[in-house]
Amino acid sequence: MKNNLFNILKKEIREVFRDKKSLAMMLIIPIFIPLLVIGMSALFESQMNKDVEEYNKIGFAYQMTDEEKSIADQMNIDAVIESEEELVKKYDNGEIDLYVTKDENKYIINSDGSDNSSYSTALVESYFNVYKEYLQQTYLTENNIDANKVLDIITVEENVIEQDNFFADYIKNYAFLFIIMAITVSATYPATDTTAGERERGTLETLLTFPIKSKDIIIGKFLGVTMSSVVTGIISLVLAIISLAFTQNMFTIYEGVDIMYSPISIIFAVLVIIAYSFFISGLCIAIASTSKTFKEAQSALTPLTFISLFPGMIAFMIGVTTTPILSIVPFLNFTLIFTDINNGNINILNILLMIISTIIYISVVLVYIIKQYKSEKVLFAK
Amino acid sequence: MIKVEHVTKKFIRYKNKKEKEEFCADKDISFEAKDGEIIGILGPNGAGKTTLLRMIAGILEPSEGKITFDKLNYKENEIEIKRNIAYLSGNTKLYDTLSCYELLKMCCDIYGVSDLECEKRIKEISKVLNMDQFLYNKIENLSTGQTQKVNIARCLIHDPKYYILDEATTGLDIISSQIILDFIKKEKSKGKIILYSTHYMEEAENICDKVIMINKGEVIKSGTPNQIREDTNTTNLRDAFFYMIGGALDEE
Repeated sequence: MKNNLFNILKKEIREVFRDKKSLAMMLIIPIFIPLLVIGMSALFESQMNKDVEEYNKIGFAYQMTDEEKSIADQMNIDAVIESEEELVKKYDNGEIDLYVTKDENKYIINSDGSDNSSYSTALVESYFNVYKEYLQQTYLTENNIDANKVLDIITVEENVIEQDNFFADYIKNYAFLFIIMAITVSATYPATDTTAGERERGTLETLLTFPIKSKDIIIGKFLGVTMSSVVTGIISLVLAIISLAFTQNMFTIYEGVDIMYSPISIIFAVLVIIAYSFFISGLCIAIASTSKTFKEAQSALTPLTFISLFPGMIAFMIGVTTTPILSIVPFLNFTLIFTDINNGNINILNILLMIISTIIYISVVLVYIIKQYKSEKVLFAK
Repeated sequence: MIKVEHVTKKFIRYKNKKEKEEFCADKDISFEAKDGEIIGILGPNGAGKTTLLRMIAGILEPSEGKITFDKLNYKENEIEIKRNIAYLSGNTKLYDTLSCYELLKMCCDIYGVSDLECEKRIKEISKVLNMDQFLYNKIENLSTGQTQKVNIARCLIHDPKYYILDEATTGLDIISSQIILDFIKKEKSKGKIILYSTHYMEEAENICDKVIMINKGEVIKSGTPNQIREDTNTTNLRDAFFYMIGGALDEE
């Protein structure tokens, strides 16, 4: 009798693990994480290691000197020398990647700004830098000036103190965002099933006749949904770690870079996953408990998947960092704190604020749901 | 003893999206049920039987009036009262993913029946209700009759003092209905109080000690079946009911 909260929790867990749909939501969504990590790595690799022959067909609408031809040849440029009219036709047919026109000493690079022509543009710009240097060197030598002394008047060297990799951070942060989304999706089904679903199936009436306080019923249901969310979160994290390890050895763009989550970021990731699971489960149950039918609850919960993903995604894109105020903003705080941890910025104050604010939000949500479960309008809504 | 005193239940219902109105599902209902009595709550669909029994079972709260169980009331003794109640309605559904055994075990845990006692009771009940064949089957795989047996077993497992049965035989075939009627008679002989609602007047006539007829939320007649028949000068409760409402049902 004293352990009725435990009895309800046991019932909820048993139902979640026996219900094929709940189980599928819990286990299938995390499978997308390795696909995301591998897919994004493959995309980055293809962008980084694009074969020069895919974008080196450059049209020149003027007669090139032997020096120009030699530099182009050395830079692997497949030069097509023809009239502008012909080059425009070839460009439209996709036979060349861009073409260059000349107006006295002014060279104009004509391209459409597409992904492929941006590679070609970069190649042509490098070509003109080399050609310009060659012309400067020739001019200075002809005027009896030590060209090396002038051209190398200053030197700039790059000393990489800590090897950082944009792609690695990108992948790790997006993998975590996907974990957050997986937890949200995983929480919505059992939350709907245990509230609107239970009412629709007619088992809620049976449950209410049991000698159990409504507080115990709600907390039992809440903990059951939270546990399924935590399981999804942990599975997702494990799969993210495995796929990162696999990706590191598979793609050359990560050579010499440690793309794995550090042990400390794994510990904090688990902490954030648990905090987020509590938060989202409470929210899902609160929304679903006010819905009259299973379908209505599912419709009401669908926007949560996007809400859970977008604030973090936008913050990551525009480079927002955590502040004490942002640490208490629901949804955003979880991803921001994890991004900070990932970047090696562990701020205990921000983490504490995230945990305390989550506890407050959960308490408010639970009080609201307990009230809902005393309302006849909600319990017997038709 | 269950004592229902001047119980009224009001709901707010929506006429359309903007307009709402208050209506009385039950109005000033009073009666007593003594140990070993079967009280029949009779009336047509929408008469207020289910609302009344839900209030007695503690699922709904009366708007006015008092319900006591041997001097205990829901405000102060909710858990204690519910521990002694078994509620079974035509709408009562069971957890499909559990086996019959798991459901009964869960009920034992909730009602605080010890593991040893629980095993003993499951064995006994399973034998009495002839459930051995499907005790470990999932509820979703059972027939309607078998499910109803599990429902009865669920009610018996904590050996309650009060049974609240709301149209428990509605939609069942004669064999399944008979299982419930036999169960009611058996529990009565043990001195249990049974509140039994039905719109099958003949069924009530056979098993009830007292009958309360409700129409449109109000008690229109109460007493023993014999008394009611005599008072209305009829030969059965069906005719008595029509006599009381003036011959025709006014469907809302």
